[in-house]
Amino acid sequence: MSKEIPIWRVKYFPNTLEQICGREKLKGRLNSFIKSNNFPHLLLAGPEGIGKTTIATLFSKAFLGDLFNPNFRIVYADVPLTSEERKQARTEAYVSKSKIGSLAGRTITTPAFLQLKIKPFIQLKVFGGASFKILIIKNFEALGSNQQGFRRLMESYGTNCRMILITTNISSIIDPIISRCQLLIISAADYTSFKNLILDIANKESLIVKNKTIELLYRITEGKISNAIDLLQLSSINSKNVDLNKLYDNLISSQNELIRSLLLLSFKGDFSKARELSRNIQANYRYTAHEIFKLLLNELLKLPLSTFSKCKLIDLIANADFRAIDGLDSDIQVSNLIAKICYFSEFI
Amino acid sequence: MPSKHKENIPWVEKYRPQSINDMALPTAKIKGHKVKLNEDLKNFIEYFFKEIEQINIKNRKIRQFNRTHLEKEQKEEIKIAPEKAAILLEGPPGVGKTSIVYALANDLNMQVIETNASDTRTKANLEAKLKETVKTRGIMDYIMESKRKLILIDEVDGIYGVSDRGALPTIISLIESTQFPIILCSNEYKQNLQPIYNKIKKYEINPLPDQEILRVVKRILKEEKISDLSEEDLNLIIEKNNGDLRGSINDIQALSQGVMDKEYKDLILKLHRDSYEEIFILIRDLFQKVRTLKEARSLTDKSDVDYNFLYKWVNENLPNFINLKNEITNAYDNLSIADEIFGRIRRNQYWSLLPYFYDLFAGGVALSTSDKSSKSGFRRVSFPRYSSSGFFTVTATEKLFTEKIQEKYNISEREIIQDFLPFLRNLCRSSRRQLKEIAEWLELDAKEKKLLK
Repeated sequence: MSKEIPIWRVKYFPNTLEQICGREKLKGRLNSFIKSNNFPHLLLAGPEGIGKTTIATLFSKAFLGDLFNPNFRIVYADVPLTSEERKQARTEAYVSKSKIGSLAGRTITTPAFLQLKIKPFIQLKVFGGASFKILIIKNFEALGSNQQGFRRLMESYGTNCRMILITTNISSIIDPIISRCQLLIISAADYTSFKNLILDIANKESLIVKNKTIELLYRITEGKISNAIDLLQLSSINSKNVDLNKLYDNLISSQNELIRSLLLLSFKGDFSKARELSRNIQANYRYTAHEIFKLLLNELLKLPLSTFSKCKLIDLIANADFRAIDGLDSDIQVSNLIAKICYFSEFI
Repeated sequence: MPSKHKENIPWVEKYRPQSINDMALPTAKIKGHKVKLNEDLKNFIEYFFKEIEQINIKNRKIRQFNRTHLEKEQKEEIKIAPEKAAILLEGPPGVGKTSIVYALANDLNMQVIETNASDTRTKANLEAKLKETVKTRGIMDYIMESKRKLILIDEVDGIYGVSDRGALPTIISLIESTQFPIILCSNEYKQNLQPIYNKIKKYEINPLPDQEILRVVKRILKEEKISDLSEEDLNLIIEKNNGDLRGSINDIQALSQGVMDKEYKDLILKLHRDSYEEIFILIRDLFQKVRTLKEARSLTDKSDVDYNFLYKWVNENLPNFINLKNEITNAYDNLSIADEIFGRIRRNQYWSLLPYFYDLFAGGVALSTSDKSSKSGFRRVSFPRYSSSGFFTVTATEKLFTEKIQEKYNISEREIIQDFLPFLRNLCRSSRRQLKEIAEWLELDAKEKKLLK
């Protein structure tokens, strides 16, 4: 490395499967896959930001060795096709009669996403002496109805290419897919290994971090390592001594904290200020109404409220979210929820 | 009434300018730069015919080549660049967009083929009307020395809904394969026209200055030999019309011909043709004057304001007019149902649901309040400041930025925008040194650095 990487989360990004923090059981299982030089299709499920993709990528790297680059691909299911790609899919759908093969003169009816992003990779032969290719599909639940088309691909190209599907929301994945995969539930790193990792970073960056600070860091980031490292770096800008106060100071600007203050503003009943804040959040983070509701729910559960009012509030969020499925303007739908919380706060 | 007005032609048609040189020419801009409209348009047409002639010669050669060669070696025919084949004039109604085109055609001795919002513009209709003239020259054209043609697609922003299904792709393919220059006219920015905006040059046409309109109106009055309108009335009418020449001429004709009773006059003087003023008043009336659902319905029915906008205005101004918490809740309940219904209408083309949408977002919102105090007094009406598209989008700069990050740190676009970029911003705000280091590490330029501030 000629230059130091200024961002710690990139600098301390794990390079091998061994360097991944904690989760020894899972690593043992993956290592046994590598040893036997074979594994079934995998479905990795777990909360956001916990390292599912990192684990999957590093596992593929270890599995494929030198043949990693030509035999590996990662596809984001939630990135929609651009208009040019859709046009390309339309023009390529018709196979000319002059071509040889059973498809000549026919129209391909595979969904455009699968046709463009997945098929070209899995159809091609394995490069070099690797046992098979590896395809990672991130946010698999975003495929929606295309999942049905994906079933067949998993079967017919399974020998040529193994797939690792990654999702945060296993309930929206159809059963036939789950039954074709081995399900691995991934949880956050445990506290001891988290602590060791943070201490290691603190050592390398010559920071002073107390045990209590690490405990708090673990609690507020819910074990999400990249967020924890971000927070650590923010807190250490001015001095090498990271303490609780500094963590709190830097926490205010995090998105969870913004959502929390949105909730508190609505409890106070200040509708216009709360709407202003919600618009700011939507604009800065590009959240859709659905994502905001999800974050609001998460923060709500952390607040010290009676079970009755929590249930009532969850009911409000659920109703608003249901309406937003068909609604067009996410601002109206979020404002609707805020107005209702403002009104409801009088009865808490 | 005096017999001198026996002709029944609207003055607007009667005095439509014959040449571009003697019309009240509005000023125009391209991307904020002023341009001379008449010269630009003439150049565009001259240049188009030169270009198309060369392309036709080349294509003839290519066709000959293709006839003698195998399928594999065939060459594709050349198409004209879209921005050389068509232009878009965008401006408020009544400034003379259509008139410019007709005057220009008259000057250059061309024949105008027009289609406007009164035709249903489905794919089949458009093709029947225009493709014939666009693709090949008819037999008659070879026999007779015919006029060159100019294609005018007026009121492009009026294309929407089921009745005009497939019109946009047809227009775009038309632009690519045309044999004659195309001019499109539109009143305002419409999102569904984006594919057209991407392809061709857009002239933004400004409203006419009031003195210019006064000059034209006076000339007409002089020719019609009318002198019973005072200068004051004229000024008032012109001012109310906000740079709309056609509206001014129509009003003045109505005032000077036929019925001249006071009520009619008052009505016209009260009229505001298409301006924000109209929405302001509409919103105020909706929240403060309306007492029943029926009144609310007739108010929204009468107005020309696009309901796409109107319900966003209602959303923006709701807290300005309704203050009590339970009333805000009721109002938003109705508004969000209206939004839900509108979403269903737009996604599934259930246009028959539109009445429910209207009643809920207008009457349903405005009548959620029984508070007397909100019905009186002057309230501020504001523009919709925030509009969300409902799905994840990134700007062009952000796209480049994320690509640069992805080279060093492979995470998805969404993660970068929602998680990584906010963190980088926090980091850079707290210290200058960090900003410099990060900018060096990612090799950012000045524009992308701004994203971090």
